[in-house]
Amino acid sequence: MSMKFRCERDTLVEALSAAGRAVTTRGGALPVLAGVRMELVGDRLTVTGSDLDLTITVEVEVAGGEDGVAVLPSKLISDVARSLRPGAVDIAIEDEDARIVSTPSEFSIRVIPVDEFPELSSADGDAVTLDASAFRAAIDQVEKAASSDDARPILTGVLMAAEEDGLRLVSTDSYRLSVRDLAGTTILGEGQKVLVPSRALKELSRVVGDADEITLRLGERDAGFQVGPVKVTTRLIEGEFPNYRGLIPSNHPNALTVDRETLLDAVRRVRLLAQESTPVRLAMSSEGLELVAVTQDVGQAHEAVEASYNGDDLTVAFNPEYLIDGIEVAPGDEIILETVDELKPALLKSSDDPDFLYLLMPVRVS
Amino acid sequence: MSDVAYEGPAPDGVLGFLHVDMDAFFVSCELLRRPELRTEPVVVGGTGDRGVVAAASYVARSYGIHSALPTSRARRLCPHAVFLPGDHAYYAEVSSRVMAVFADITPYVEPLSLDEAFLDVRGALRNRTEAAEIAREIRARILDQEGLTCSIGVATVKFLAKLATTEAKPRASQRGPVFGSGVHVVEPGRELAFLHPKPARELWGVGPKTGEKLTRIGIETIGDLAAQPLDRLTAALGSSTGAHLHQLAHARDPRPVVVDSRSKSIGHEETFPRDLSDRSVLSRELIRMVDAVATRLHKAGVAGRTIQLKVRFRDFTTITRSATIAEPTDKANVIRSTTEALLAQIDVDLGVRLLGVSVSQLGKPIAHQLSFDDAAGLGRDETDDIVEAIRDRFGGNAIGPATLARPGKPLDRMVPGQQQWGPDDLNR
Repeated sequence: MSMKFRCERDTLVEALSAAGRAVTTRGGALPVLAGVRMELVGDRLTVTGSDLDLTITVEVEVAGGEDGVAVLPSKLISDVARSLRPGAVDIAIEDEDARIVSTPSEFSIRVIPVDEFPELSSADGDAVTLDASAFRAAIDQVEKAASSDDARPILTGVLMAAEEDGLRLVSTDSYRLSVRDLAGTTILGEGQKVLVPSRALKELSRVVGDADEITLRLGERDAGFQVGPVKVTTRLIEGEFPNYRGLIPSNHPNALTVDRETLLDAVRRVRLLAQESTPVRLAMSSEGLELVAVTQDVGQAHEAVEASYNGDDLTVAFNPEYLIDGIEVAPGDEIILETVDELKPALLKSSDDPDFLYLLMPVRVS
Repeated sequence: MSDVAYEGPAPDGVLGFLHVDMDAFFVSCELLRRPELRTEPVVVGGTGDRGVVAAASYVARSYGIHSALPTSRARRLCPHAVFLPGDHAYYAEVSSRVMAVFADITPYVEPLSLDEAFLDVRGALRNRTEAAEIAREIRARILDQEGLTCSIGVATVKFLAKLATTEAKPRASQRGPVFGSGVHVVEPGRELAFLHPKPARELWGVGPKTGEKLTRIGIETIGDLAAQPLDRLTAALGSSTGAHLHQLAHARDPRPVVVDSRSKSIGHEETFPRDLSDRSVLSRELIRMVDAVATRLHKAGVAGRTIQLKVRFRDFTTITRSATIAEPTDKANVIRSTTEALLAQIDVDLGVRLLGVSVSQLGKPIAHQLSFDDAAGLGRDETDDIVEAIRDRFGGNAIGPATLARPGKPLDRMVPGQQQWGPDDLNR
C-alpha cells in the first residue's frame, strides 16, 4: 500500500479539520471511523470523515506523486499537521505507516487498514442550487431550537418543507420552536418535506463561509450539500415531525415591542442572577418592561427596559438561554413578543420580517 | 429551612384543627405483641434502678403509676406489674403507619412525637359534613388497622384542640380504666366557655414557674387570666409571655399546622377486598392511587423526588420499591410511569393484598420549564388544574382518568380518606 503527495501545510490542515468534524469522537462500533480516509488521484486529494450518519468530504489540489488510498487516525494526523511549521509537507504511505515530513520534523504514524472503512452512501437526486448566504442565515435561525436529545430523534432534525411560496425550515426541542420561511426558494417538490439532522446543517453552516451557492441533492435517504470543495452528506431522519402549526396560538392579546439589541443586552445582564435553572421574569405593563432574576441565597437583578406594551399587565418567566437564543436570531432591529398568559407559549418575531417566528414555552413558577 | 417545610392555611374560625393523641401508645404497642398481658398492669421504660417510666397501661395507672415516675417507685406501687424495656424501633414503625392514616385524610399533618399530631382537615370537609365525623373515622381506622385507640380533640385552633384531647382521654381509676369519649369537640362559639373554667396551668406555655407567678397575682383559671388587662400580665410575666397568654386566654392561636416535609411523604394505600394477581387490574388500581396522590401533592403545593410503591402479598409479606427522579414532581403522569415501572419488576403471582403509592422528599415545586407537550395537554399543568377545578365544583367523582370509567358504573376514583382496609362491596 502506498501513496505519495506534497502540499502546503495550511491546505492539509483545512481539509483535515473540515473532514474531521464528521468523525465520531465517541468511539462507536467501528473503530475505523476514528480515522479520515485520504484518496489521491492525480493531483486531487479527497479527504473523508464520517460517523455513518454524517459524512464530510473535502477535495483539494496537491502535488501528486503516487495515487493511492489510506486511512489515518483523524485527531492525531490533524494535530500533527497543525503543529508543523508553515510550508510544504510531504506525506508518503509505505506499508503500515504514514511518514509526514516537514523539515526538520518527521513523523511516522501507523495507518488504519483501508478495507475496514465502510462504503458510504451518497445522495443521488437532481442537483438544485440555493443562495448560500440566505440558506446559512436560515439555518442559524432554526438550528438552536432543535433538540440534542437522542431519545427524541425526530426533534434532533430540522424540518425542510415545501410551502406555497417557498421553503420553510422548522425546528423544535419541545420547549421552543423556530420557523423560518425562505420565500422563492423552491428546491423541493410540491408538498415534499424532509427531516435533516440539525448537526449536519450546523456543520454546513460552518463550511459555507463566503460561498455564493450551495448545491443540494436529495436522495431517498440522504441529502448532500456541496459548497465549493466541501460536500456534507447526511442521512435523513425518518418519521413524522410534530404538527407544529397547532402549537402557535392564533390570538395573542398582549404585545410587547422592544429594541432587539437593548433587550438582548438586558437579558444577558439579568441572566447572571438567574442561576440553578431559575428563570428570568418579564414583567410587562403600560410602564414598559421590567426584567427580574432572583436566585435564592445568591442575589437578584432588576432592569427596566424601554418598551411599548399593549395588553393586560402580565409577568411571564422564561429560561434565559432559550430567550436569548430567540432574540439573537430574530432578524431586524425591533422585535415583538406576543403573549397570552404566563403558561401559554409566547411568540417572538421581528416587527419588519414576517418570515421568522420563535415560539417559546414559559417556565412555570409555583 | 423554609424550602423543606410547608404550612397549612391560617385558622379562619372553621372547625377543622384536630389533635390526635394515641392512648398509652408504647404500652398499647407492646400489648399488640403480647395480648396475654392486656389485663395486667404493664409498664414500659427503663427497667433498671435509675430508670423512669416511659408509659404505663391504664391498669398500671390505677395503681398510681404514670410516665416520668422513677421505675423504683413504680415497682413499690405495684410489685406485680410487668416491666418491659422500650423498643423504639418498633414503636416508630407503628407510628409511621398511624401517621400514614392521618396523611390519607389531609396533607397537613404536624407530628409532635411518635404518638401525637396536629391535623388540619378543613380541606377535607368538602366531602363530609363535620370535622367530628372525620375524627371518628380516624379513630375507627386506627383501631381497625392497628388495633390501637387514640383520643382526638377538635377545635377551631391548635391549642384548643390539644386541650380538648384531654377531655376525650380514657382515665385510670381505682376500679380500672374508664373509657373516654374518644373525640371531644369544642364547637365554634363555645371556645371561651370551654376554656375559661380550666386551670391557667393547663395553658400551652405555662410551666411551673409561670404557674407560680400567676398564682401569686391571684390567677387560678384561664377565665381569671382573660379578665386581666394585657399590661398587668406583661408587667407580671414579661412582655412576650404576657402577650402570649393573653392571646390564648381569649382563644386566639394563629398558628397553622406546619408540615416538616423532610421526613414526610404524601401517599395512599389500599387493601383490596380480595387478593389481586392480574396485572391489568393492579395497574388500574395503581392509577387510582396515583391520581389521589397527585391531587393531594398539588393541593398541598408540594412536589417530591422519591416515589415509592408498597406491595403487601397474600401472606402479609410487605415490600417497598422506590425510585428517585431528577426533578421534584406533582404530576400524575410522572408518578404513574415511575410506579408502573416499579410494579413491572415485582412478581405479583402470589396475589397482592395491598398496594400503596407515596411521594417523599417533599419541597416546594421548583421552577418548571413548560414544554409543548404541556401545551398540548399531555402534562400536569392546565389539565390537572382543570380537573381539580371540576372536582372542587362538582364533587370528586365528577371527573377522573378514563381508565377508571366503566359503563353503567360510577367513576371509581379514590377519594382521600376512603377506607383503606378495603371496601365492603366485593363486586366492585
